[in-house]
Amino acid sequence: MKKVVIAGVGNVLLGDDGVGPYVAHMLEHRYRFEEGVTVFDLGTPGLDLVAHLSDIDALIVVDSVANDKPPGSITHYRRADILRHGPAPVRMDPHSPSLSESLLIADFTGEGPSDVLLIGISGADYEPGTLLTDKVRKAALTAVNDVLAELERLNLRYWQSLETDQPPAWWEPAANPRPA
Amino acid sequence: MAKRITIDPITRIEGHLRIDVEVDNNKVNNAWASCTMWRGIEKILRGRDPRDAWLFTQRFCGVCTTVHAMASVRAVEDALQLEVPLNAQYVRNLILIAHALHDHIVHFYQLSALDWVDVMQIPKADPGRTSKLAESISPWPRNSRNELKAAQDKVNAIAASGQLGILANGYWGHPAMRLSPDVNLLAFSHYLQALEYQRKALQVVGMLGAKTPHIQTLTVGGVANAIDLDSTSALSMDKLEMIRTLLGEVVKFIHEVYFVDVCAVAAMYADWFGIGGGVKNYLAVPDLPLDTKGTTYDLPGGFIMNGNIAGTQGFKTASDPIFRQSVSEDVTHSYYQGSKPLHPWVGETEPEFTGWNGDQKYSWVKSPRFQGQPMQVGPLAQVLVGYAQGHPLTRKYAGLALEKIAAIGGPKAGPEALHSTLGRHGARAIRAAMLAELAQKHWQLLVDNIGKGDLAVFNQPVFPSHEIEGVGPEEPLEVLRTVHSFDPCMACACHTFDPSGRQIARVKVL
Repeated sequence: MKKVVIAGVGNVLLGDDGVGPYVAHMLEHRYRFEEGVTVFDLGTPGLDLVAHLSDIDALIVVDSVANDKPPGSITHYRRADILRHGPAPVRMDPHSPSLSESLLIADFTGEGPSDVLLIGISGADYEPGTLLTDKVRKAALTAVNDVLAELERLNLRYWQSLETDQPPAWWEPAANPRPA
Repeated sequence: MAKRITIDPITRIEGHLRIDVEVDNNKVNNAWASCTMWRGIEKILRGRDPRDAWLFTQRFCGVCTTVHAMASVRAVEDALQLEVPLNAQYVRNLILIAHALHDHIVHFYQLSALDWVDVMQIPKADPGRTSKLAESISPWPRNSRNELKAAQDKVNAIAASGQLGILANGYWGHPAMRLSPDVNLLAFSHYLQALEYQRKALQVVGMLGAKTPHIQTLTVGGVANAIDLDSTSALSMDKLEMIRTLLGEVVKFIHEVYFVDVCAVAAMYADWFGIGGGVKNYLAVPDLPLDTKGTTYDLPGGFIMNGNIAGTQGFKTASDPIFRQSVSEDVTHSYYQGSKPLHPWVGETEPEFTGWNGDQKYSWVKSPRFQGQPMQVGPLAQVLVGYAQGHPLTRKYAGLALEKIAAIGGPKAGPEALHSTLGRHGARAIRAAMLAELAQKHWQLLVDNIGKGDLAVFNQPVFPSHEIEGVGPEEPLEVLRTVHSFDPCMACACHTFDPSGRQIARVKVL
């Protein structure tokens, strides 16, 4: 059995940074996956991430990215792209260890995944708030399909869920109406 | 002439910690810590269901996430004067302890040890000699020549490949590094083992909290872990046994490896007991409640002003009036409207960004004050407050640490040496040793209580029908050594990945 982790990463309290958890939420509600494939909303992990990406065969991360592309663009990064620059030059606090540091540590102990895909979504707005901007919300749908395509490439099966209504994610205002 | 050094992460989005220090004659005589990002959790929570507040609050950070969740859920329970079933207290305590043990291991080995350990000296070490040295200070079974040789081979292979991976960017060969090759090898072998043991601690958090980071099993009034000793989905005897086994392994690592290593580093870098003292006001809130109302605790609370250990005052409970009345938040130097300190209950959070100005406003973090004074919190504060009050468990491990440091050849230090960079590492190790012992105690308390037939984990909260005023829970190498020893948490914010490899931190000397 192949072990695969699909991780939505980002802060749901900071606008478009919440797109990773949002994609994880959509995948969990709309699809079922073959045994060994697990979807996680990992929020903003520090070194906790290492535990999730150790002893697995493949890792698919969905995260917002800071590149110079227009909001809603999706860019795929493979292991070499992520690790090209090594660890951060000056680490200040326990929160700096990032995806690349976590991968380097897992590699270092020989437990890292051989297949890595980062589906990066360029965001528009990272101000405090629990809503995605429209462009990023649309991009999330594409990211879901990109995750499924990667599973197909890895010869893994998934099924559409019978539930058709996707409830809002718990952090979205629709799940948690505020008084007017 | 004074030189200004700025250490500043400069990514476009990630908000992090920025440190400015003014150095004159090789001595830091002024420093500014800034959080470079606006968070606004107070605004996000406003108007939401208080039963959900903890879910949002813990998303503030993915590292110290559990404590935010716990503080939030307790704040709501406190407002409702709601008792929490004993089982729920013990489950929460075990989650807190396991997460703290994970955190302390990672903080020392993965996040700080390489400030003190020079990995590139390891090829010169003699694994046989190192193993003998290790046996003379600890009974840990994984200090064998073979295990040490394997760690050395790993370093040799990495050095030969030129692909340093996670070890790139260390301060290798820096003159402030002074451990012998053998000691460097021993510490590095434990760095590798620490990766295993921090994961075991995290597994306990995951088993009790359903997920990590960001636990899912808290609820206002208790926990959502159903207890059924025979079930496969609930908290069963099998799961409890697995938790006991994992905790047992972590406890042994803490007592025989982490605690000893910190004492060894302290003995060999003893001059760092005189560096990095900081504010000598300390504050600790009592934690690990032992009854449903939260009137007795396993970790004591209280405060110390101006390093006056004898003059300490205790907090009887987490809602002690002295604690409640004495806290305020100051925005004089923060990017918010207003300029006077306010009690958190009447706090205002109206952002007003004006750019970094060391004499005026320079941070997004409000400055919490106790009786109008800045306070140091965290493991050092907890250990000093416990020590000052004669708390037996604190005295036990503080005493053991001081003995161990002297036995390894360090100075005969007293508790006053703890006001320092090394002191913060030492206090964290003392706290970890205490928590390791308490992990086993609270596991036993939980199992004994279940054995009495008590399966309760939740008390239904009753909210008043009228609207109530919402009160949320508000609650270069040498420089970096001290920054790391504080374990600053300001910015665990955004997780955006920056693929460009543009420099994400800079050190600027003016």
